[in-house]
Amino acid sequence: MKLATSQITDADFQKFREFFYRKTGMYFDDSKRYFVDKRLLERVEATGNEDFRSYFIALRFEASGQELQHLVNAMTVNETYFFREAYQFDCMVNDMLAEICKRKRPGGRIRIWSIPSSTGEEPYSIAIYLLERWAQIDNYEVEILSSDIDTTVLQAAQRGVYSQRSIQNLPKEYLQKYFRRLGDNEFQISRDLIDAVDFTRCNLSDANDTRRFRDIDLIFCRNLLIYFDDLSRRVAAEAMYDALCPGGFICLGHSESMSRISSLYNVRRFPDAMVYQKPLDGDRK
Amino acid sequence: MALRKATPPDAGTLAPDRPDDAAGWSLLLQDDSPAVRAEAAAAMATWPECAVTLGAHLLDETDERVRQALFTSLTRLADDQAAAALLPLLRSEEPRLRNGAIEALGSMPEAVGPRITTLLHDGDPDVRIFTVNLLGELRHEQVLPWLLHVLGHDPAVNVVAAAIEVLVEIGAPEHASALRAARQRFAGDPFIGFACDLAIERMEAA
Repeated sequence: MKLATSQITDADFQKFREFFYRKTGMYFDDSKRYFVDKRLLERVEATGNEDFRSYFIALRFEASGQELQHLVNAMTVNETYFFREAYQFDCMVNDMLAEICKRKRPGGRIRIWSIPSSTGEEPYSIAIYLLERWAQIDNYEVEILSSDIDTTVLQAAQRGVYSQRSIQNLPKEYLQKYFRRLGDNEFQISRDLIDAVDFTRCNLSDANDTRRFRDIDLIFCRNLLIYFDDLSRRVAAEAMYDALCPGGFICLGHSESMSRISSLYNVRRFPDAMVYQKPLDGDRK
Repeated sequence: MALRKATPPDAGTLAPDRPDDAAGWSLLLQDDSPAVRAEAAAAMATWPECAVTLGAHLLDETDERVRQALFTSLTRLADDQAAAALLPLLRSEEPRLRNGAIEALGSMPEAVGPRITTLLHDGDPDVRIFTVNLLGELRHEQVLPWLLHVLGHDPAVNVVAAAIEVLVEIGAPEHASALRAARQRFAGDPFIGFACDLAIERMEAA
């Protein structure tokens, strides 16, 4: 039986959105009502609850957090593709890494964090860029960490199977080198790349999660903060600041601006992209 | 070398002895390391009873990152105690502290609202100016009545000037009469005359 959208009342929606915001930092304005209602009703049905009220009570008092995770997975949007906003990857290999390396010993470790991971297109794009377009790759140990609040997409990222649409921006030689065709519209990324990326669940609004990320040299956090409200953006910006090494860089999506979120970072303009930088020690504002 | 699988971030990089209560985090707020103090400040956002400690620490803290963490945690708490902890900063000589307090207070209308009338009658005109600045940030249904009260009654020209500046942004043509009255009240002050005329012109053009 198909459940009616009207089963979620205005009061239910308000109550749910405040709860979800407190837990995740994600805020749904009224224009997202249809999107939220549809997914909420799917979860009400999937959990065998009679109505939103009984579902919400169960959700709030569930100790394991398992249903909250299901809900997060349902509410997050995960559409991306390889080499998206590639000008920032150009900036990485042409400028940012050169600066980072100046502060490293030969053979030292460089740590890159891609959040949100989504289904893996971004961290794997970073890996391919490094292998193909950064001449210093063999002189350093590069670690790629990738995180998402949605555990379903993390599993998909570790499977590494992509559609034609996902890989359409990839140069043909990279496709041949790093992917195996599974079917007409399916390509699997190489095991070496899957094994090179460390995927973990992380909620940027939760200090218990973000405290595990330290000594990061470069963060890609693109098109995530647009889903947050002002306060959650600040919390996220501060968590990423703590995760970065002094002098570390952060790349946001093209419509996002750190200057409007936090004054902690310096703006850096490189030929390929404008990025944000944690000040070096002694170089604080 | 080249790409290397990261060691799991929770294996060895996590500090092993993080507190699980407010008192423990309060102690870490005194740590020598700004990174530890910032972490403590962020963690204390989950304990409402920490508001007083967070606010008091703002007066002594010099590291900008830690300050921002303190403000952010008080903003997350957003209750009566958080507002009470931030209000003394309106008297600070340091603009960054004052501005941080105004920004934080501006996001907690329910906690701040009941205190606005008292603040608008503070004996220190600077505090009244910063309160008017705060009204510019506050999403509260009484903001316009409060501003109109300042226009009609505050004796200090600089406080009234600040109120005119906020009213330009949030007022409507029907508030022109209050501006004309303020202009009349400070008839000898050319700046108030200029500011009122400009405000009326902008409101009527909008």
